[in-house]
Amino acid sequence: MFRNVLQGTVCAAVLLGAVGNAQAEGLTLKAPAKIAMVYISPRNDGGWTQAFDEARQKLETELDQKIQFVESVPENAAAITPVVDRLIARGANVIIGTAFGYSDTFLELAKKYPDVAFLNGSGTTNAANLESFYGRTYESQYLCGMAAAAASKSGKLGFVAANPFGQVNWTINAFELGAQQINPEATVNVVYTGAWNDPVKERAATMALIDNGADVIGQHVDSPTPQLVAQERGVHGTGYHRDLSEFAPKATVCSSMWVWDRFLAPELKKVIAGNWQPSATGALLSMQEGGTDISLTKDPIISAANRAKIEAERAQLLAGKKILYSGPLSDRDGKERIAAGQVMPDADLWKMDWFVKGVKTQQ
Amino acid sequence: MDLLTHWLGNAPDFAVPFALAALGLILTERAGVLALGAEGLMLVGALAGIGMQLGVGVAGVSLLVAMVAAGAVSLLFALMVLVLRINQVIAGLALVFFCQGLTGLAGTVFGWTNRPVSGLNTVELWPLSELPLVGKIFVQNPLVYLTVLIFIAVVWFLYRTQTGLRLRAVGENPQAADAAGIPVLTYRLAAIVAGAALIGLAGAYIAVLSTKMWIADMTGGRGWIAVSLVIFARWSPWRALAGALLFGAIEALIPQLAATGVRLPQYFVLMTPYAVTLLVMIWVALGSRESASQPGALGEPFIREQRR
Repeated sequence: MFRNVLQGTVCAAVLLGAVGNAQAEGLTLKAPAKIAMVYISPRNDGGWTQAFDEARQKLETELDQKIQFVESVPENAAAITPVVDRLIARGANVIIGTAFGYSDTFLELAKKYPDVAFLNGSGTTNAANLESFYGRTYESQYLCGMAAAAASKSGKLGFVAANPFGQVNWTINAFELGAQQINPEATVNVVYTGAWNDPVKERAATMALIDNGADVIGQHVDSPTPQLVAQERGVHGTGYHRDLSEFAPKATVCSSMWVWDRFLAPELKKVIAGNWQPSATGALLSMQEGGTDISLTKDPIISAANRAKIEAERAQLLAGKKILYSGPLSDRDGKERIAAGQVMPDADLWKMDWFVKGVKTQQ
Repeated sequence: MDLLTHWLGNAPDFAVPFALAALGLILTERAGVLALGAEGLMLVGALAGIGMQLGVGVAGVSLLVAMVAAGAVSLLFALMVLVLRINQVIAGLALVFFCQGLTGLAGTVFGWTNRPVSGLNTVELWPLSELPLVGKIFVQNPLVYLTVLIFIAVVWFLYRTQTGLRLRAVGENPQAADAAGIPVLTYRLAAIVAGAALIGLAGAYIAVLSTKMWIADMTGGRGWIAVSLVIFARWSPWRALAGALLFGAIEALIPQLAATGVRLPQYFVLMTPYAVTLLVMIWVALGSRESASQPGALGEPFIREQRR
């Protein structure tokens, strides 16, 4: 039996070709590592890309080498391929992408350049020399939910979300689960804008939530608009991507932020050492593995007791001692989604289309 | 009841950019120039307005600078369609792409992206603002009220002055207008620049007064909605204003409904603006049998002594 399995594995490896064999011992670069990053937006976009650029600067110190970057590369093959071709022609042999829309092109490029290591943030494709990575944003958003409930007087929280996708829905559920840790009665009203980066729609959504009594606004959209509106209206909010207190210092009590350097530094060291083995399913990073973290305000609106609770949960997550989506957990209609003692598989996380009790959304 | 109050109160804020952009387009197209560049010119207005607001911080000045900037960029469009007589559809599309690239680059280079600015305080129209239910409609920033005055002024200009009559004549039958001694290209140039200034004001409204910040491509297709609004309003300013209010009302209603926590089908709600556009189009098409009021020479370059 075991023999058959082993044969099957060997067959699969042969089918994958020579590249597949390389996976077993790790990718070896043909020359000293030269790293380049490809950004989807300008490096000072205030959010997603800026977080990558901040990681790049830390990586330069940590790895003691210059890291090149190219800005504003749109998500289509005709734009990505020449950029990466040129970087590789100039000697780059580690390419880091930053977009979901780079996935397919990066897979093709990985086949074209089997000696180059590819990494892609928020991508979906993987190969012997390509690894996609993303953060378990629900962990940091869970802590933001705690902070939101701690800052709320009414217990009515609002959430401005982009599209009803799995990775947006998991942050909404986590936000509510976190809020319940502080105030079991807390509820979250969600408005989907249908766009990732439309300040007009985000403003309308935030105004509507505040009009309906929400006094802390969480967000999973790209611009800092919800925080700006919260500040204008004299309520509070929690940010996303980066520490948004930069834009709304009075309003933002907590932010879920990317800390890519914590993941990329050890990962790139493996690439440099020649023993990098990309995960076949991509790296979905917990806070322990260096995906996200939070930045919590010093404002006394969050009481010392609540601050201690948040920090305690954060320490648990950073130590990898807490798995948020573990059973028993039921949705708001009472249907059991995760049985007691079970942990939700990643495949189901990506498909999450149900909400926990206390979340109010459209269907 | 609260829903109704908040909804009506927020609707003008969404309607004004559509209304101003549509009015600018009508002004240009009444002179016979097909203007598809609204999306790009709105971005120019938005960026210029934010830049000025970050630098000087006086909203009135920022809005004026936005109008001038959009007018200046439209000179390029005028050069293409009036002097070089490039196809107006292609020139309009090229203008949009040019402006998207230009504003994206400038916003990044100058570091204006995501930087919050202070807008304008709201002004209450007392005693109307004390009315039940509809009171919040009369608590808006000054440009909302000014928009109504701008509409009255432009309509008066187009339909009550000799210059307005000439401008419309240029759009209906440039050969006849030329024979009557009207300088066709001068009128068209003026109509392009004036229209662009209004479109730039619409963009600056979004950036400086509504969202109070700049992000690349922040107009999010609203310029295109204005283009379709003009067709659906059949080049009538008042109908365009009504259409803008309808669109603004729908855009304001969607998040209000969602925020109340009513469980409605999400995708159906996001579809409403487009569904309503279709319905109104059908209703307009069925309702009126009068001949289309599209300017007769819309989209046609003027070449003196050329037969039509």
